[in-house]
Amino acid sequence: MEPSLRGFKSNSYDQYTHAIELQEKNQRSTKMIEVVLNDRLGKKVRVKCNDDDTIGDLKKLVAAQTGTRADKIRIQKWYNIYKDHITLKDYEIHDGMGLELYYN
Amino acid sequence: MELDHVGGTYGGNRKPTPFICLVMKMLQIQPDKEIVVEFIKNEDYKYVRVLGAFYLRLTGTDIDVYRYLEPLYNDYRKLRQKLSDGRFSLTHVDEVIDELLTKDYSCDIAMPRIKKRLTIEAIGALEPRKSALEDDFEEEEEKDDDDQLMDIDAGGHEKDYYRGQSPSRERGRDRDRKRDSHRHRDRDHDREYDRDYEWERRDRDRDRDRDRDRDRYRGRDERDHGRDRDRDRDRRDRERGGRRRSRSRSTSRDRDRDRDREERRQRHARDTSASPSRRGAEDEKPKKKKEKEKKKDDGTDHPDPEIAEANRIRASLGLKPLKL
Repeated sequence: MEPSLRGFKSNSYDQYTHAIELQEKNQRSTKMIEVVLNDRLGKKVRVKCNDDDTIGDLKKLVAAQTGTRADKIRIQKWYNIYKDHITLKDYEIHDGMGLELYYN
Repeated sequence: MELDHVGGTYGGNRKPTPFICLVMKMLQIQPDKEIVVEFIKNEDYKYVRVLGAFYLRLTGTDIDVYRYLEPLYNDYRKLRQKLSDGRFSLTHVDEVIDELLTKDYSCDIAMPRIKKRLTIEAIGALEPRKSALEDDFEEEEEKDDDDQLMDIDAGGHEKDYYRGQSPSRERGRDRDRKRDSHRHRDRDHDREYDRDYEWERRDRDRDRDRDRDRDRYRGRDERDHGRDRDRDRDRRDRERGGRRRSRSRSTSRDRDRDRDREERRQRHARDTSASPSRRGAEDEKPKKKKEKEKKKDDGTDHPDPEIAEANRIRASLGLKPLKL
């Protein structure tokens, strides 16, 4: 698919391929996002993950970083407890979003 | 009986199972030890048995725990277990008891630490564990003794492990001997590679004699002495090959040491397989290994260290690498 080159004034081949890459990246199905989890008691964790990871996977990553057990972690947003089998993309968790970290 | 499954909490907001509610109730009433032992002794209701066992594990002394819970190893009835995501799974009474005795976390509760059985045996408060399957294992090991005459070490190993005894001096001695023979070999190997070129040539003959003597001694003890002899022959060939290579290239010690380190690495990798390889095969091996390492597809060799680290954690958890 031909990307729009109207904004470009240079004829360099590198910028062309770079533009294609950027467009593909924005249209790609899986992205890497970084989520911030805060438990308001001093533990603030930034976790890099794919947006097609499930909440269960995210809990495992957080457990690896904080040292708690994965099944003791509860991820919430206000009063919505996020379920383990749903992906981050389905919960519409975007890059840089903050989630609340609680413990069972 | 209304109690029909074992479990901790489940679901998103951690609903408790009736089992864990009863455990909490018992902790509130604090029944006497006789009552708890009655719970454990009863044969009719298996869930009540497990409930008693769990409570005893939480509140009893080390010796009591081992004394009353180990007979339950013979109970192999099926149990229904509720997992933390709400599903049921199948387990058995003896599996649950094993979890209680060996792990320190069960049913969402971190259990108090108890001394290891070996420690209690060492102080003499308990006798060494007699397994119910001991007779079966004795028959098996008799069969092993008849089959392999050289197998003194392995037979001793099996007997000690299955009897559940504390590591006897015999087993410790075997372990030390095996460990020392390894260290011996590596130490000589290092010494040989780090010497200068002139010294190497002079000591080569001396080493060969030493290797042959050591081979003869080890052949008597270890089961696969054929393999060791091949391994040493390989090492000797490799020394000669390595030295020839160093002679043709520059005499800088760093480059020799790097190459030696690589050879040492592939030797360790190759030692796990039993086949002695020709000297020609060695030259292909380092090239093949480098290519395989470059083609790793779990992203752990990413230039950005943060992403490489994240991918490493993901790989260890069984997740796919990050999509960049």
